[in-house]
Amino acid sequence: MKNSNKLISVLVPIISVLLAFAIGCVIMAVLGANPATALQSLWIGAFGNTRNLGTTLARATPLIFTSLCACFAYRCGVFNLGGEGQFIIGSVACCYVATQSGIEGFPGILLCLIVGALAGGVWALIPGLLKVYRGQNEMIISIMLNYVATLFMGVVYTNWLREGNVPQTASVPDATKLSRIFGLRTTSAFLIALVVGLLIYYFLFYTSKGFQMRAVGLNMTAAEFNGFAVKRYVLFSFVVSGLIAGLGGSAELLGTQYRLINGFAAGYGFDGVAMALIAQLHPLATILVAIFFAALRVGSTTMQAATGVPTSVSDIIQALVIVFTVAGLAMVKLPQIKAVMDRMFAKKEAA
Amino acid sequence: MEEFLRIEHVSKKFGDFYANKDIDLTIRKGEVHTLLGENGAGKSTLMNVLIGLYQPTAGSIYLNGKKVRIDSPAQAVKLGIGMVHQHFMLVEAMTVFENIILGDRNTKGIFIDREARKKEIVELSQRYGLDVELDKPITEIAVGAQQRVEILKALYRGAELLILDEPSAALTDIEVEGLFDIMRKLTGEGKSIIFISHKMREVLRISDRITILRAGQTVCTLDRDETNGEELANLMIGRELTPSHYEKITQPGEPVVALEKVDYHKESKHNGLSGVSLTVGRGEIVGIAGVDGNGQSQLAQVVTGVLTPDAGRVDLKGSRVAQFTPNGFILESVSHIPEDRNKMGLIGNMTVKDNIVLKSTDTPQFSAAHGFFLKKRAIREYAEEMKTKYDIRCTSVEQEARNLSGGNQQKVILARELEGKPDLLVAVHPTRGLDIGATRFIHDTMVEAREKGCGVLLISADFDEILEVSDRIVVMFEGQVMGVFSGKEPPIQEISLAMAGK
Amino acid sequence: MDWEFISNLILASIRMATPLIFLSLAELYSQRAGLVHIGLEGLAAIGSLVGFLVSLISGSPMLGVVAGAAVAILVNMIFAYATVTLCAEQIVYGMAINIFAPALAAFIYRVYFGAGSELVQVKLMDTLSSTLHINADNFLLKLLLDQTPMVYLAYALVIFTAIYFNKTKSGLNYKAVGEYPKAAATLGINVIGVKYVACIICGALAGMGGAYLTTCYANTYVDGNVAGRGFIALAAVIFGRWTGGGVLLACLFFGFCDALQIRLQVGSSGIPYQFFQMIPYIATVVVLALIGIKKAGPKGSGKPYLREER
Repeated sequence: MKNSNKLISVLVPIISVLLAFAIGCVIMAVLGANPATALQSLWIGAFGNTRNLGTTLARATPLIFTSLCACFAYRCGVFNLGGEGQFIIGSVACCYVATQSGIEGFPGILLCLIVGALAGGVWALIPGLLKVYRGQNEMIISIMLNYVATLFMGVVYTNWLREGNVPQTASVPDATKLSRIFGLRTTSAFLIALVVGLLIYYFLFYTSKGFQMRAVGLNMTAAEFNGFAVKRYVLFSFVVSGLIAGLGGSAELLGTQYRLINGFAAGYGFDGVAMALIAQLHPLATILVAIFFAALRVGSTTMQAATGVPTSVSDIIQALVIVFTVAGLAMVKLPQIKAVMDRMFAKKEAA
Repeated sequence: MEEFLRIEHVSKKFGDFYANKDIDLTIRKGEVHTLLGENGAGKSTLMNVLIGLYQPTAGSIYLNGKKVRIDSPAQAVKLGIGMVHQHFMLVEAMTVFENIILGDRNTKGIFIDREARKKEIVELSQRYGLDVELDKPITEIAVGAQQRVEILKALYRGAELLILDEPSAALTDIEVEGLFDIMRKLTGEGKSIIFISHKMREVLRISDRITILRAGQTVCTLDRDETNGEELANLMIGRELTPSHYEKITQPGEPVVALEKVDYHKESKHNGLSGVSLTVGRGEIVGIAGVDGNGQSQLAQVVTGVLTPDAGRVDLKGSRVAQFTPNGFILESVSHIPEDRNKMGLIGNMTVKDNIVLKSTDTPQFSAAHGFFLKKRAIREYAEEMKTKYDIRCTSVEQEARNLSGGNQQKVILARELEGKPDLLVAVHPTRGLDIGATRFIHDTMVEAREKGCGVLLISADFDEILEVSDRIVVMFEGQVMGVFSGKEPPIQEISLAMAGK
Repeated sequence: MDWEFISNLILASIRMATPLIFLSLAELYSQRAGLVHIGLEGLAAIGSLVGFLVSLISGSPMLGVVAGAAVAILVNMIFAYATVTLCAEQIVYGMAINIFAPALAAFIYRVYFGAGSELVQVKLMDTLSSTLHINADNFLLKLLLDQTPMVYLAYALVIFTAIYFNKTKSGLNYKAVGEYPKAAATLGINVIGVKYVACIICGALAGMGGAYLTTCYANTYVDGNVAGRGFIALAAVIFGRWTGGGVLLACLFFGFCDALQIRLQVGSSGIPYQFFQMIPYIATVVVLALIGIKKAGPKGSGKPYLREER
């Protein structure tokens, strides 16, 4: 039984991806391109050489952070849709420290990352507290706070930290920028993301507290009957998930963007939630899914240049993967369908 | 009397489980027909079939002699079947008036003609003595008034058959009298009533005929005049007294838990406790007998720290409990087999092994460095050991707990709760829905725990179970302790009557 | 602060509030049937693109609006099927719609116009005064007559909604589905049917709200032109306490905030304009924090409805 569940949870996203690509290929063919060539150029664009690979990984980095953020909270049964806001608040705080404190170099980097992470954590505390003490829907509140954060960032780059005529902040000092790794076009931000992913994986599956938090996420009533401090875990998960997003915002600022500007982080939050769901809330799978999506985004430019298929076809494919996976996961949970599948697998296991 | 409704060989299956099996029932015009049965006897399922919420798996339904198909609630309404659910189906955000006219199909027009509708409702309410304040929001009227709204709602839709599901459950005695007056008026006008209740006194007062359901099947139908409370109680519980397998203890050890005048939501008869005093000593099993929903769940949750009592004191191993938290009680070696194993006992999506060690992952046995590293091998080996010891049948300890059968799920909980050598075990309906083998195993285990000096508080709606293992029997009714009886040679008659509130 | 500034501000508020009214009503109809829909942003995006294309091709902005509504209904049927029939989590699926529909809109735009084409513009919908050849030169005439038919439609819809939910039998049944679906079902109300109808209404209104942006407000389509209005609509429904009138007031208030911030962007006052843009969101969080869960909208919201649930 356990194997059948695992199999289904892997199969649903894979089938969704295949379906999405099939539809993508039909669209390409209708547009007069050869789908095989288009897919090939998509692949080359994303992974064809070290330069492209680096770009893909750099694009994947912020997505890894926001999807880990969503993944962590959801593991505790709460839906943090505010990853984007926490990411942004983290980067704003980081930007402040990086440009105003005068501390540069490694200590500066460390301080920036810590402050950014903390800011994200504090921002996530708001929906967490309202959820625990007012019983409010954490999803609506965290969505609202995303917009507040985005607008607040707007205040920062158009007013408070504006540099010159263009509405953007000054760049972080060179000494505070994250360095590139392995000669790729990606920075140590990617490594930080990997480490965070591994830490979360370790916490969830190898520590007692992580175990208990998962238990809370899967069945809050039973967890309470078994003596776990449910409210505390809910708050904790919100704060940690905010910390992850805030750290991501800081790493993105110091590693890739260097300055706050209009459109910074736009869409990362919801993308992250979608990716965490596709990865079935497994932190390591989350990283892979984020890289997959980043590859689709980076590779589509090459595809457009080589075959004339517009990059938005890639957006459609990504969106379809999400639409199909979420529907598929809901479908296999329906009682009728579940009964059919259980019977199917029961037969297989008996045989 | 003329027949109104006839049910023939109706069955309803959920998965492999028969909630109703081969039910036969005839309702005459103008009678109050009581359905009597324990919780889980299949009364609610049968009623949901009658009102079109469930489709029967087999069998047929006749109305006025004609075969009918009730495939939707709308159809049931059309056929003149109305139900007052135990949990009222009232929309809280709306007024009394709006609730009554909701879903109305009898009148034409798009708009609500308030004046005309109100006139109709007032007429109806005066005819049957159902006075309600039409313009009040539902949240602002008392429970008894809400019930009248429900009855009016059904009558307004032209109900000829009214199903009342435990209508007296939430009412005060005076309100119950009012309800009975209304019921008599209704039957006097030729309407039929299906009355669902556990309360023997009320059943005997109001019914014309009584049908007993047990384990999803009809046992028999009796005329009120030809039966009495004892017979009904025996039929409902379904027992011939068999001698217990276990030796009963008469001299318990020092008290593990003592309750003194404990109140919890006192005004609620069915979900509250009122002045409950009882003790459980070391090495004895105290069985709480009573029909479900007389405060037993609340009692269990108070002595496991889930609920905080409003008044009274609870002593645990001789010292007064100041703070009621589940964790505090767990630290005092109180174990709990909760009433709903899937909702409260197990994390269904976790594996058997995870559920076995659920409470103890912080201990050095299962994790190193204060919980920072789970000893997965130790956990697995321990789980394998428990699997053998408690005879948990699963493909592996890595199987998800929700996929186990009920009996094996309960054994997982037993393994978790009993291995810690508890001082007090609170077991609520521990064998509900289990087969004979699993039931026997669980009884053996509880008695074994008793032998080791553990105090056991057993709460069960299954009277046989109470008689089988209890050293002392406490009967609860409407949140109060009705009496304490010896478990050795128990006076069955007295206990049955106490359970029925006499 | 002279009269001209104020009158312009009021006129702008009306203009800004109109798309919000459409979107908020869409959300209201959805939530009243127990469906929390955070995907209006996406529905509006596709509605806005289709409205733009059709009015460009046919030359009739009216037809554009109709087409925008129709296509948004189609897209919303995905949401309906997933959340009502498959019982998928509503918020998650709304999010999926928010990712899918704008991607589809952007794709259609690229395919139709080719990459890197110049900005295409369409003729905007005529205002009543220009249709009637009335020279609207004073404030009152401007306010009452110099508006597109969409504005009148929006207010008519608000009145209709208020009457529908308060005075009609069907409206009462509709509300019951969102409050307590099981009770509604026992009274013979077709819960699943009402939910699908809700999705059709919601799609139509959201599509119209989107189409308004390209047929009445700006004469061109750009990606992201919905600019968070879908979420402000969500806020307006909460702020307006789930009633037609309340939603209207919330939309006017939020529209006013929007108009004000644009004026502030142009002029130079001390307060950054973004703070005014934040008002709808902060107001919503504050309202939710204050009212508590018991009064927070239809009680059946967000929960799937399974018929034979045990």
